[in-house]
Amino acid sequence: MNLHEELMERLARRRSNKLGGLSPAAYAELLLSVRENPQDYVDDASDQAFFLLVQAAERVFASRRDDEFRDDEQFMQERSRRMERLRRDCAEALATAPESAHARLFSVLAADNEPDDQLDALLELDRALAAERGPLTAPESGDAWHDVFLRGRMRVTAAISRTCLDSARYRMSNEHGQALLAASPSDPLGARHTCALCLARLEDEEGFEALDARFGRRGDSWQQLGRVLLFYKLGRMPAARRALAGFDQLCEGGGYALLRPIMVDTYLPDRPSAEPYSFEEVTLAVHEADPIICDVPDLCTWASGQGDFAEHARAFAERNGFGW
Amino acid sequence: MSFDPHREDYQRLGLRFARSLDGQDPASATRAFAGFNRRFSQNRDSLPQSDADRAFHLVAEATTLIDYELPFATDEQAEELIDKGHLLLDEAIALDPHCHDAIRMKIAAESPSFESYYDFLARTADDVRAQCEEARANARDESPERASLEADIAMRPYYRWLATQAGKAVICGRNREAIRIGETLLELDPQDAADVRFTCAIAYAKLEDEAGLDRFAARTKPLVRAGTDDAWMQLSRISLAHKRHDMAEARRLLTRLVDTYPHASTALTSQKELPDGVFARLAVAPFSEDELILAISEGTVLLQEGRDDAGRGVLGTWIVRQTGLAPQGGTPR
Repeated sequence: MNLHEELMERLARRRSNKLGGLSPAAYAELLLSVRENPQDYVDDASDQAFFLLVQAAERVFASRRDDEFRDDEQFMQERSRRMERLRRDCAEALATAPESAHARLFSVLAADNEPDDQLDALLELDRALAAERGPLTAPESGDAWHDVFLRGRMRVTAAISRTCLDSARYRMSNEHGQALLAASPSDPLGARHTCALCLARLEDEEGFEALDARFGRRGDSWQQLGRVLLFYKLGRMPAARRALAGFDQLCEGGGYALLRPIMVDTYLPDRPSAEPYSFEEVTLAVHEADPIICDVPDLCTWASGQGDFAEHARAFAERNGFGW
Repeated sequence: MSFDPHREDYQRLGLRFARSLDGQDPASATRAFAGFNRRFSQNRDSLPQSDADRAFHLVAEATTLIDYELPFATDEQAEELIDKGHLLLDEAIALDPHCHDAIRMKIAAESPSFESYYDFLARTADDVRAQCEEARANARDESPERASLEADIAMRPYYRWLATQAGKAVICGRNREAIRIGETLLELDPQDAADVRFTCAIAYAKLEDEAGLDRFAARTKPLVRAGTDDAWMQLSRISLAHKRHDMAEARRLLTRLVDTYPHASTALTSQKELPDGVFARLAVAPFSEDELILAISEGTVLLQEGRDDAGRGVLGTWIVRQTGLAPQGGTPR
């Protein structure tokens, strides 16, 4: 998700709400002028906080760009330095607008706690937001995402769903993910990806297929990986082999991503966007599925033994100059 | 309950000996039987026995070495124990090519992965069943009591086969398979000599199927010992409460577990992972510290789940945090 663009939308929407009844053309005009001088349009504390958070996130992303050139120790040092900075930035945003859902969410994420503690904090935040603002439901437009001011709460739910997965609470993860899908059927936050992995982990074939059908069987790295996990776990090996072949063919460098998992840093606050079936996407899918993959201890050994799977992975590594 | 191979060895020879006394007058039969125990322990070869009986005796000896002595052996001793154990198993299979326990134990050691061991068990389970059922059908004894024990003994290798398969299914992440296999076994042996219901409880927790576990617990209620849930069931309940983030309930259930087993805090803090018994789940006293240690070891699949820096798993870490608050070492209760 482009946070900077979202800030523009927030500022324009806030101003437009204040002015009332802008025509689409007038709104487009307003948006252009917001983009030119956003600072001029910040007259709300929560927008100011959002502004600070966008800058903070951009600083983190910029610092991450060099991570691949750092050795482990340098990386850990740099990471702890930037998380420290992020915590200070979040504190500032929170001081600016204590009621801001984004400032509160970023603060929880920046605390960088173990999943159990992070989940406690997120659930508390979710309860507080529900008490302050009522339940998160789909607005009349049919999709909560269309209301830019609901996005903070949606992100809290998405983070709860992912943190549930990280803390081995798969049913709960799926429930929160499904609640988000109900509020926002277009699912720009990708709650369906978390759900797909959880349903595979729970060996819930019916739920998995229903989710896939709901999104028109568009397919993505999570679905492909989930399918491998699901059928392997159900002991349906011919189906598992077909799913693995599909994963190998469709997901660029999928074998490499599965057999040589790459570290992915904290989502801030959203999953980074990636093209369907790209190497970036399958890397995210494997990273998110890590607790589930570890729970199937022989999966990678089995996969390596299937046809050319390992060979494709090695060739991908060679083509891209990755270690094998 | 579990399976005690030495007791089974004794039962096998006892049955055969008793049958050899049929037709004698009661007084001399009683006299002869009085000498059975001595002959069993000191002069086994003087007792009537089949090759299958001899093979099973070797399995019992191998079990002592591999399941009960190996975990406490030094590295040097370990190799010797393993070699000896495998010689015994080879000999058992040479005597009785249908000695399913010996075959299963051999493959356990030879399989490079859980997956390949599980595969082998799954692939051959139907043959084992057919052979055990054939042996059961051949069991003919004039005394109905003896006939029933003989029939039961004939099926035990298959019970152990299924129990092992269910346990490995959980380890391989195949929890629905584990429950299906457990149900097959419970149908064949409603008394659940293999205690496969322990494995099923863990599988239900893995699937986060609380309603399924409730139904399962209700159905197997007659098997609950001393009116108290076993450690496997209790760990599964703790895991389910933790998984639905009902932390107060999880804490309450953990306290109950600590109250059920002696020295529970120590076992819950160390969370040892032991090698599974290859013959069967180790025979330990009900509600003993050892039983809890076994349950925690098998419950590793519940404890070590999730992303966790300490490497203990999310539930494992949570339990350590909770029991850390209790007096260290615990007291027998």
